[in-house]
Amino acid sequence: MTEEDSSAKMSEDVEQYLKLNPPCSSSSSSSAVAFANKSGTFKSSSPPCPEHVLENVLENVLQFLTSRCDRNAVSLVCKSWYRVEAQTRFEVFIGNCYSLSPARLTHRFKGLRSIVLKGKPRFADFNLMPPNWGAQFAPWVAATAKAYPWLEKVHLKRMFVTDDDLALLAESFPGFKELTLVCCEGFGTSGIAVIANKCRQLKVLDLVESEVTDDEVDWISCFPEGKSHLESLSFDCVESPINFNALEGLVVRSPFLKKLRTNRFVSLEELHRLMVRAPQLTSLGTGSFSPDNAPQGEQLPDYAAAFLACKSIVCLSGFREFRPEYLLAISPVCANLTSLNFSYANISPHMLMPIIRNCHNIRVFWALDSIRDEGLQAVAATCKELRELRIFPFDPREDSEGPVSGVGLQAISEGCRKLESILYFCQRMTNEAVTAMSENCPQLTVFRLCIMGRHRPDHVTGKPMDDGFGAIVKNCKKLTRLAVSGLLTDEAFSYIGEYGKLIRTLSVAFAGNSDKALRYVLEGCPKLQKLEIRDSPFGDAGLRSGMHRYCNMRFVWLSSCVLSLGGCRDVAQALPNVVVEVFGSDGDDDDDTVTGDYVETLYLYRSLDGPRKDAPKFVTIL
Amino acid sequence: MEGYSRNGEISPKLLDLMIPQERRNWFHDEKNSVFKKEEKKLELKLGPPGEEDDDESMIRHMKKEPKDKSILSLAGKYFSPSSTKTTSHKRTAPGPVVGWPPVRSFRKNLASGSSSKLGNDSTTSNGVTLKNQKCDDAAKTTEPKRQGGMFVKINMYGVPIGRKVDLSAHNSYEQLSFTVDKLFRGLLAAQRDFPSSIEDEKPITGLLDGNGEYTLTYEDNEGDKMLVGDVPWQMFVSSVKRLRVIKTSEISSALTYGNGKQEKMRR
Repeated sequence: MTEEDSSAKMSEDVEQYLKLNPPCSSSSSSSAVAFANKSGTFKSSSPPCPEHVLENVLENVLQFLTSRCDRNAVSLVCKSWYRVEAQTRFEVFIGNCYSLSPARLTHRFKGLRSIVLKGKPRFADFNLMPPNWGAQFAPWVAATAKAYPWLEKVHLKRMFVTDDDLALLAESFPGFKELTLVCCEGFGTSGIAVIANKCRQLKVLDLVESEVTDDEVDWISCFPEGKSHLESLSFDCVESPINFNALEGLVVRSPFLKKLRTNRFVSLEELHRLMVRAPQLTSLGTGSFSPDNAPQGEQLPDYAAAFLACKSIVCLSGFREFRPEYLLAISPVCANLTSLNFSYANISPHMLMPIIRNCHNIRVFWALDSIRDEGLQAVAATCKELRELRIFPFDPREDSEGPVSGVGLQAISEGCRKLESILYFCQRMTNEAVTAMSENCPQLTVFRLCIMGRHRPDHVTGKPMDDGFGAIVKNCKKLTRLAVSGLLTDEAFSYIGEYGKLIRTLSVAFAGNSDKALRYVLEGCPKLQKLEIRDSPFGDAGLRSGMHRYCNMRFVWLSSCVLSLGGCRDVAQALPNVVVEVFGSDGDDDDDTVTGDYVETLYLYRSLDGPRKDAPKFVTIL
Repeated sequence: MEGYSRNGEISPKLLDLMIPQERRNWFHDEKNSVFKKEEKKLELKLGPPGEEDDDESMIRHMKKEPKDKSILSLAGKYFSPSSTKTTSHKRTAPGPVVGWPPVRSFRKNLASGSSSKLGNDSTTSNGVTLKNQKCDDAAKTTEPKRQGGMFVKINMYGVPIGRKVDLSAHNSYEQLSFTVDKLFRGLLAAQRDFPSSIEDEKPITGLLDGNGEYTLTYEDNEGDKMLVGDVPWQMFVSSVKRLRVIKTSEISSALTYGNGKQEKMRR
């Protein structure tokens, strides 16, 4: 056989192997048998050990597989594939830090360079979980420090991270490049200072919506002298002043810096200076967008010119304390913008119009409801490429005025046909508007509507919002995430269960009439992974109806429903691979244990390593 | 007609409300154990913590009944605004609820605080500018619940499900009294065994002056139980740990009973 023939033969064999669908049994003998049957086809003249050949081939092929779903599938084929996949996986995603122990991670994967870890469930953001519940980064940093000295990237969401953790991270990983902390807490500016100082290869330091205590440390000055590798620096959530001169110096020596998100302690004049130093920026968080002092008679900086010079800016955010008279300075970049975040700025329709009129390329737009239905109509008229819209309430109370409504929603649906993701806070809504969106925006994958007044019906017809949400699940066939609100009966949930075929995440609050609603969802929605429910009349029978699937879900959260301890215990006993936690929302009560029968909060999740050992006293693991 | 006696016995009328007729026999049989003063370890419970008779009967009731029926029958009354007999029944929004609307803390306080359009700075020195602190900065340092609100639990006699009240959203006893009415009026009506309609929802009044059917009390940071309204508002806010709405007729027994026998009293 010629060389070409044998390599052609080899690739055929590889193809055959890769088409193997059903997983072999995990015993090595059967995989050896399967292999032996095929090994006869290897006819090359000097046959290397077939297993090694296979594994080498696999390694080379698997490097192209980056999707974790694909990799998970590959690892199930047989033990040999499992091994090779584990050796070649460099990025791991852990959606629930309690679903496995750090030891299990380091045992399976030997070559990780990047870790994404998520901790607390989302409802913790809204004060529904007592502090000190858990999700500590400490055991993870300790384990990975030993196992992966070449680790480069850590991305954490809703984890509790201490300054010591950050210090250990900085010391343990000499090649560390990217740190992203989203919705995290437990650390302060001293921890950030250590990262800045010790991680000499740092490219990304992104602090997003995290709580950072002000230790009064000048962390910006802790970046070492000399050229930095920084490409992204986001500290807009840091609520403490920074040393601007040090920041300016840092920007000057960071030629690769593309993304800079400053906090509200950076004034407009200072922003101007930064922009002049870094015209290559693509993403800019503008800080306060408000001048420092009253004009002192000298020439005012030409803000518009600075924006003009930053030709590459495609993403703008900040505007934390903006002054309307300066807003138009951003006009030169509007035509290039793909992302605009006004969600901290009390912008009226009048202020929005001249800006949005030029934003033809916007794909992501976040704003406050201060822009009103009129502003949304302006967005709909211009932003034909819009993919993601988020409208937050300026005044997040149940009985506040409500400047946006179904009118704005419908306008958006008619103008922005490519919309994929929407988060919309309002006081009143109609089934008609929601239905219109379901018909006009078939690409929707995320639909989150928050009617802030609880149990509010359609404000025109007085009927429940069942039909609107029903239309969404029926018409938006790509929908993967849904959050419902308003007056909803069990019928809405029957629609969701039946038509929500791709829904992975469902959020429910103050909705439904009975356990039937929960049953519809748990017996339908085949792809459901994350279920978070609060203040709804769902009890033990509803909970039981999901027993067949809790092992295949990331988590279920039920708070202020009507569950009893006995019902939760039944689930815990029936499903040994599921951890069932119950606790109250108030962690600092004196009583240690749950002895009453009423369960205020149930949080259950699958876990490979059983109940966690770090549960605080107010948590009972059934 | 109330039939409440001073020494804490349960009125048969209340029993009618909470426990179906046929189940009441076991309660009477175990009268002794009910009145036995047990240690208050019940953290999460349906009944108001001070009224332990109801607690225990409630808890036992839950344990003995098929769970779905017992809890859901209560839930049905509590949670089904859309299935009440009168279609025009619109739930009046009770006071602020924890974590609702679901907006993260740093997105609150935009309507107040430092997002003003006016100049908002103090003196600059060494290039480090200090701006006005947002109001949640202060809340952050004083309160372990860093999300800004000051939430205390409140239970009401006769209502199995407790609520929470954000005291930082109130400025006076009157406001608080109004919130209590809003929070519990519907719930109290839902406890009645006959179909509820707006007419049956009596406002809860006279919480502070002893003139109403119910009175507002609180437990302070030393475990003492007190009537609400005697001390200046700020002093009250700084010492209150829990609120309880009790029957006015039970005042003397509730306050002394709690204070004397409270196991957690540390003196």
